[in-house]
Amino acid sequence: MKISYNWLGDLVPLTLNPQELADKLTMAGLTVEGVEKHGDDFVIDIDLTSNRPDALCHLGVAREVAVISGTTLKPAGIALQEGEEAAEDVASIEILDTDLCPRYAARIIKGVKVGPSPEWLVKRLEAIGQRSVNNIADITNYVMFELGQPNHAFDLHSLQDKHIIVRRARAGEKIKTLDGVERQLSPDMCIIADTSGPIAIGGVMGGEETEINADTTDVLVESAYFNPASVRQTSRALGLSTEASYRYERGADYDSQVRVADRVAGLIAEIAGGTILKGALDVYPQRIEREAVTLRESRIERLSGLRVEIERAAEILTGLQFVVAPFAERRELLAVAPSFRIDISREEDLIEEVVRHTGYDNIRVTLPPWNGEGQYLPGENHRRKVRNTFVDFGFNEAVSFSFVSGDRDRLFRLDDKATATLLNPIDVNEDEMRASLMTGLLEALQRNFHQGRRDVKLFELGRVFKAGRESVRPDERETLGLVMSGEVLSNAWRGSRQIDFYDLKGVIEAVTGSFNVSGFTIERASVEYLHPGQSAVLQRDGEVIARFGRLHPRIASLYKFRQPVFVGEIEFGSLLELATDQVAYKALPRFPGVSRDISALVPDTHSWGDIEKAIRDLGIREIVSVTIFDMFKGKDMPEGLRSLAFRVAYRSDERTLTDEEVTGIHERVRELLEQHFAAQLR
Amino acid sequence: MDEKLNQIREQFLADVSAVNTPEALTALRDKYLGRKSGLIATEKKRVGSLAPEARAEFGNQVNQISAEVEAKIAELNEQFAAKAEAAALEREKIDITLPGTQFGRGHMHPITLLRNRIEDIFVSMGYTVVDGPEIETSFYNFDALNIPPGHPARDSADTFYVGEELALRSQTSTMQIHAMQRMSPPLRVIAPGRVFRRDTPDPTHNPMFFQLEGLTIDRNITMADLKGTLQKFVQLMYGANIVTRFRPSYFPFTEPSAEVDFRCYICEGKGCRVCKESGWVELGGSGMVHPNVLKAVNIDPEEYQGFAFGLGIDRMAARMYDLDDIRLLYENDVRFLEQFN
Repeated sequence: MKISYNWLGDLVPLTLNPQELADKLTMAGLTVEGVEKHGDDFVIDIDLTSNRPDALCHLGVAREVAVISGTTLKPAGIALQEGEEAAEDVASIEILDTDLCPRYAARIIKGVKVGPSPEWLVKRLEAIGQRSVNNIADITNYVMFELGQPNHAFDLHSLQDKHIIVRRARAGEKIKTLDGVERQLSPDMCIIADTSGPIAIGGVMGGEETEINADTTDVLVESAYFNPASVRQTSRALGLSTEASYRYERGADYDSQVRVADRVAGLIAEIAGGTILKGALDVYPQRIEREAVTLRESRIERLSGLRVEIERAAEILTGLQFVVAPFAERRELLAVAPSFRIDISREEDLIEEVVRHTGYDNIRVTLPPWNGEGQYLPGENHRRKVRNTFVDFGFNEAVSFSFVSGDRDRLFRLDDKATATLLNPIDVNEDEMRASLMTGLLEALQRNFHQGRRDVKLFELGRVFKAGRESVRPDERETLGLVMSGEVLSNAWRGSRQIDFYDLKGVIEAVTGSFNVSGFTIERASVEYLHPGQSAVLQRDGEVIARFGRLHPRIASLYKFRQPVFVGEIEFGSLLELATDQVAYKALPRFPGVSRDISALVPDTHSWGDIEKAIRDLGIREIVSVTIFDMFKGKDMPEGLRSLAFRVAYRSDERTLTDEEVTGIHERVRELLEQHFAAQLR
Repeated sequence: MDEKLNQIREQFLADVSAVNTPEALTALRDKYLGRKSGLIATEKKRVGSLAPEARAEFGNQVNQISAEVEAKIAELNEQFAAKAEAAALEREKIDITLPGTQFGRGHMHPITLLRNRIEDIFVSMGYTVVDGPEIETSFYNFDALNIPPGHPARDSADTFYVGEELALRSQTSTMQIHAMQRMSPPLRVIAPGRVFRRDTPDPTHNPMFFQLEGLTIDRNITMADLKGTLQKFVQLMYGANIVTRFRPSYFPFTEPSAEVDFRCYICEGKGCRVCKESGWVELGGSGMVHPNVLKAVNIDPEEYQGFAFGLGIDRMAARMYDLDDIRLLYENDVRFLEQFN
């Protein structure tokens, strides 16, 4: 909202320069975005909050200025010279739908001369960014920016039967508005009609047919109060926002209709000539009444921490044109808000008025009393630990939009369940809440590949969604996703190698390992979006905690990935439930251990996991660890065999093992390999 | 001095000056100090053939020469060892200007970094972190926050709907309501999280961003406490000398309401790019919890009252990192992410 400093000066004595005034207005809640010199004037640009439509005009700002600077408004002084002819003999008004339009007033001026506006008027409008049209249109505009109330001038002779009907539009009715657009009306819209049909859309825009034109001699000035919600709805439905609708939808003054009509009529007679007919037309069947609100002195301090005497509160409210009845002994007052302050309905609202005009700056600075220790979200330590683990392993943290392309997301869903669909997405291709973090991460991977980055590791910790029953909130689950592709070490000038399944597995093990949970098993598994030969799940007691593996080539080709991509999803929520902070210390070994290596040719059909498990299942207490250190499959090796080399570490907690003892135990391991795994020991 | 000894000494001095390799030194050592056939050992054996009265003097002379030879050889030995060491070190010299191994440490997202910092500060001030669902019912997203049906904030131009009564939460204030339902006053919570608004992405807008809501409810909490709390936060976040400014504002769920600014930490109020030449930086919205909000969760507004505030984490990040296009925050471009530590 642009305010002219000079114009303001017509309404209230100005004791502050434009910049000082701007600062004070800001601190009173009318945020000034900027002050600009404009000829011999200054334009103050105010960013008003939506609760203050009363200040969308010079008078509204002047009212604040008066209280800020301790002055009083200059008297309005609208003196009208009325003619003999009575307005009610010329035109009539009827409101059929008072819920949409509680009040409609009008003035009639005859014998005007439409023409250009005088220079002062053009300058005023120009200063606040308004273009001059003609004297009549400029005056209606001027008065809106002065008093805040939108109003409209009709060419009286274009009104069929000079009878104005305010009503809901009928299905199928149309109107060509002032902007030349033909608009389809619907029955929830409030229109102004004459006996032949719509002539204006109430509170939004007038019609072309009844527009003021060069030949207009007689004018009917409309000054009405429209229901805010109705205007908002109509404006949205038509996609038409105007200065008028902007004000009406926020809430106009319901009591200034006649005053505004008078002001417009007075200016028209003064500038465009003509005679003002006697009397204003004013249809206002159901008076709008405001309730008085009590303000307690004690409550001001209790809420704001600022001590303000009830007398001072009364002064501020009176200055803001509230009707105030003070009760000094009870340290209270009763206040009725003025008709333009639609934002006031309770004690807290009055307190804000008093406090903002006393100055938020004057409120002390204290801290609330101690109320116990603060706490992080449950599991926050693990969230932070997991992030650190990923970062240590070279992953960058991604944050993706929660809504994604459903087509892509469905590739990664484990069941057919929907998630939640946006009814009004920005992009129709991204209208579903994600069921998997894969969707966002693979899109990010793709984007990075396009940028020429071939070595990318990303993880994300966030929620995924799963539909519940109808009209019930979908389930939200916190999960971890990761993607990795390219070289293990990027830019390694001494050589590196491509990331493979085991790198992924190592990351999964490290991340899940930090939760102090035992009993995880990793097994080959079939996951639809993963390569069938390079995929696994990590489980505990049959519950899947993580799925991971190489992205299925079929899906990789959808993304046009030309290098292997490894992905994983970890059920972070499940891990959190299992997590413990307890670590039981195990005594350090007191006796030395011995290691023996085994090298063997073993049929491919036996997995390392099976061999390792079988050794452990021997149940030999002295076996401390079984560690593979080489796996080799070569051309010169018989088909279907591979060479495994591993180390078995032996130790007793009771004594130092003798060479014979170790040899005896080790022989059992060798026998196991030969007998159960058809191993050729070397 | 014994003539023979003197001869040996002279010869040694001549020999030693010609030694220029460790091998030659070893040979020299063997020649003079060899236990059996070394020249000095041979001389020592001569003592028996001397007159008894001359023996002591001869012994002295032999020992003297022996010590002199040993010292000289030791000195040379040391010189050769030092040379050898220097040569070895020189051989192991490498080009230290080649790049260090890229272990490729990753980076946390700037939003995470900032969010952790903010959470740490508020937890240290006695706040408990809470959360709530990202898909909300109209009750939590609007009704309980004093945003009645028909209010512009409910418009489908601004809010993403997933059903008649379900929307993506458009502010973290929803979690105030959950917190007040779950816990009874006095309470002190913060609620960080994702929120969604139907804004087409541009350099200053994203349809998803992060906010942090704060709430304090007790019997006698005032706006002075609100000022003190946010002032403390700003000082812990941006520096001990930073001052705040509270301006009257409007939010449906607070009354009175205040917009909070703080003195620009870059220019200290002189005006710069970060504060758009105003000297002040916007922190967020705040105010005293509206009585209708308290009533919606069955808290008696005559008995309890409190303040709430909301911070935009993305906007704080944009300022902190001088980010001129916040769309980068959610594009997950590694070149961007790698810049944050």
